[in-house]
Amino acid sequence: MTPRQRQRGAIFALTGPAYIWLAVTIFLPLAAMLYCSVLDISPLIPEPSHFTLRNYAAFFQKSFYLPLTWWSLLIGIWTTLFSFLVGYPAAYGLAKKIKGRWREALFLLIVLPFWSNALVRIFSWTMVLRQGGLIDMMVHAVFPEAPSMAILFTYPAVVVGLVHSYVPYMILTCYVSLQAIDDSLMEAARSLGANNWTVFRRVVFPLSLPGIISGAILIFVPVIGSFMEPRILGGAKGATLGMNIEEQFTVTANWPLGAALSFTLLAIVLIIFAVLYPILKRQGIWS
Amino acid sequence: MSATAQQGSRAPRADLGGLMAKIYLGVVLLFLYVPIFVMAALAFNRSPLYELPFQFDLIWFKTLANNPRLLQAGWNSIYIAILNTVIATALGTMAALAFARYSFRGRGLMQLMLLPPITIPWLVIGTAMLVFFFWVFNWGPFAAACGAVFGAANCGPRSLFTILLGHVALSLPYVIIVVGARLADFPKSVEEAAATLGATPWQTFWRVSAPIIAPGVVAAALFAFATSFDQFVISYFLAPPGVTTLPVAIYTSIRKGFTPEINAISTIIIVVSMGIMLITARFYKFGGER
Amino acid sequence: MSAVEVVGCVKRYGAVAALDDVSLAFSNGEFFGLLGPSGSGKTTLLRAIAGFIELDSGRVLLDGDDIGHVPVHKRDIGMVFQNYALFPHMTVFDNVAFGLSVRKMDGAEIKRRVDEILGLVRLGGLQDRKPKQLSGGQQQRVALARALVTRPKVLLLDEPLGALDKHLREEMQVELRRIQREVGITTIFVTHDQEEAMTLCDRIAIMNQGAIVQVGAPLDVYEHPLNRFAAGFLGVANFLEGRVASVAGSEARIDLALGGQALAGAGGLAAGAPVVIAVRPEKIDIAAADGDAGPNRLSGAVTGAVFSGSSTTYRVAVGEQVLAVFQQNSVPRRFQAGDRVTLHWSPEHNVLVAP
Repeated sequence: MTPRQRQRGAIFALTGPAYIWLAVTIFLPLAAMLYCSVLDISPLIPEPSHFTLRNYAAFFQKSFYLPLTWWSLLIGIWTTLFSFLVGYPAAYGLAKKIKGRWREALFLLIVLPFWSNALVRIFSWTMVLRQGGLIDMMVHAVFPEAPSMAILFTYPAVVVGLVHSYVPYMILTCYVSLQAIDDSLMEAARSLGANNWTVFRRVVFPLSLPGIISGAILIFVPVIGSFMEPRILGGAKGATLGMNIEEQFTVTANWPLGAALSFTLLAIVLIIFAVLYPILKRQGIWS
Repeated sequence: MSATAQQGSRAPRADLGGLMAKIYLGVVLLFLYVPIFVMAALAFNRSPLYELPFQFDLIWFKTLANNPRLLQAGWNSIYIAILNTVIATALGTMAALAFARYSFRGRGLMQLMLLPPITIPWLVIGTAMLVFFFWVFNWGPFAAACGAVFGAANCGPRSLFTILLGHVALSLPYVIIVVGARLADFPKSVEEAAATLGATPWQTFWRVSAPIIAPGVVAAALFAFATSFDQFVISYFLAPPGVTTLPVAIYTSIRKGFTPEINAISTIIIVVSMGIMLITARFYKFGGER
Repeated sequence: MSAVEVVGCVKRYGAVAALDDVSLAFSNGEFFGLLGPSGSGKTTLLRAIAGFIELDSGRVLLDGDDIGHVPVHKRDIGMVFQNYALFPHMTVFDNVAFGLSVRKMDGAEIKRRVDEILGLVRLGGLQDRKPKQLSGGQQQRVALARALVTRPKVLLLDEPLGALDKHLREEMQVELRRIQREVGITTIFVTHDQEEAMTLCDRIAIMNQGAIVQVGAPLDVYEHPLNRFAAGFLGVANFLEGRVASVAGSEARIDLALGGQALAGAGGLAAGAPVVIAVRPEKIDIAAADGDAGPNRLSGAVTGAVFSGSSTTYRVAVGEQVLAVFQQNSVPRRFQAGDRVTLHWSPEHNVLVAP
């Protein structure tokens, strides 16, 4: 065996198991799902099926899918925006204003809930938002005459829960890119006559843009595919595309339609990526 | 003169900035933790309708102990999480080693292939697995072979076995990234040095590479455990009727209506998850700060 | 103690030849420098000797045995890496003992040998430190001790002093030479620093674009560079282009392109042949313009002077060309930009080089 063959063998032996696993559990299923999305009869029904595009056509023909998708996108946009508004200042303070042990401790406290159970954290918001929950109680403590606050099962409730779930992503990615900005760059800008606001606007913010964008992607993509959060916090009202897809698989058992909707969702994600691609490339995130 | 005046005002302002940052972060932490504390507090409150005044009671933890369905789900979760940790850590570490130590054609593509499991919504991945496994397990020869090895009960598109398959797929990219980061930190020349000193590749791995990457591997294993233990979406689509993991059981209960029993089990899960991450933090510096 | 020889080594990366038919013999016990700019193939050659690189063709001989297919760990070499490559999780003692312990030597013997070598590199008392707790110079000594403790047949040094600051670097050069002499091991040393190579090495090879340009003792290569690259890479040289006007006995008279004539050893030249002459800056005398004409004498104007303590380097414009002239500051007279000067040097300092 030549060293080259030996090396090839080693590479295959080391990477083979992981990638075969990924092929069987990610890539083959995606291919199977693509195939399923063009069938006219659900695989659950033991009858011969044929090729059709009507599952995709349904997305445009049925009147409720477009508004549903719009709601999903809107939830994604609001969640991303609020995560940025809440998370960026936090990341900035952590990276530039707080040093040493304080920084380490605060950082750990921020990522800690992020790695704990998402479902449980969403559930915890029902305790705060429901009628007779924490907010309702606090409002009544101040204004006993106020009408009861029923925030649960509304769109804002869904967004609040999602921001809670995903804001650590934004803090994390922004922190990493803010941390990488050398303080001497800010000093240099100041020495050239820039005031604090100009230093931030012209130097710090542009350099942290990669962090903001990757944070936004990491939040937006899973959020528009979410179904558990809107179900628990939005109830029946909070219908999203994700919830509809879930129903196609668990309730109505119309797998081909669910598969087509899933790929439509993926296509929307890809279109957004394609639109953003020039920016991503310029910011060096795509590496 | 004005320059000195500015100089004089700068130091206190910097302190003010730090103070404001701490206050702001405090508010963010309140946002992150208050719901969790409220939920946990209500797990210890006697009222089944979350009514106040607060009366401390462990009744909900006791009913939990008598709920065989939840206990079974708990064991399933732990069982799958442990298997997932072992498999994902082993396979992921191997792949990370190959990426760090060899440059070969297709390496970039293979690293790109780690992105779909992270970026594609779990809803899509979970349903895709359901469709694929449905076809695979309905293919006679495969079902027969699987039944012979694992027993018919464990073979089906919805089973603990397929849940494990899915969890490992989601954990692998994280393991590869975390271990890879650790490997990137130590230069190849350290291994080369061992070779020049007469160590065989085997000795080099066990005496030099393994001890150096060990903290990364431990961190990756803990990540993998947390990923599996908390995973809901994949398990939800692949869980067979009547058999569940903890998150799926909780979701089902929530859908039926809120009870303090859910608070109790949720509190236990949060404590376990956060405990694991606190241990992980000892091995892995978050946020690229080394 | 051993001799190393490489014969006809070729290594290609795509279209680029990192080693293009390189043959070299390293004698027993000598300190040999491989010198060249980055990308010249010097590190590739060293790594091929170590066994990290498989050659496309050619042989590596250790004491006459072809070791081309022997894996690294069986080659019995010692190597010091550019970044030292100390094992971060081991103490100084364990780092140095590593090579002995993989050879299954017994504990007492390991202890004795490690203590001995740490004494040699003057690191006694630091056994229990971790590499992180050491200074750059100390890490360097640990790396050297670790490479030497197994008593390898050959010591390979890959720019080992590159990471040190100037002062420490000079100190370590002396140390390295002392230790190498005491151990008497054949040493191959890769560097891009020409001064370091001249200071340390018994012999050097200058490499460029994967090939050997010239091999010899530093003084020989410096005084008699074979071509323009060797003259320019090892030290500074002024290149004067010209054409042979006449040959009389062993002396050639050359018409210089920038005017004037030069005398040089004939060495097989024929009248009319184009030549390049290299003249070292320190060989040239600089004086106020005196109007005298003659061979090896040029007049020009000072365009700049760089004072560096013990010496001054002038830049003198002669015709189209600017020449470097080096003068010790023992001479009282100094020139300033704009001064007219005459440059003069003796014929034996004209070195004919291949273009």
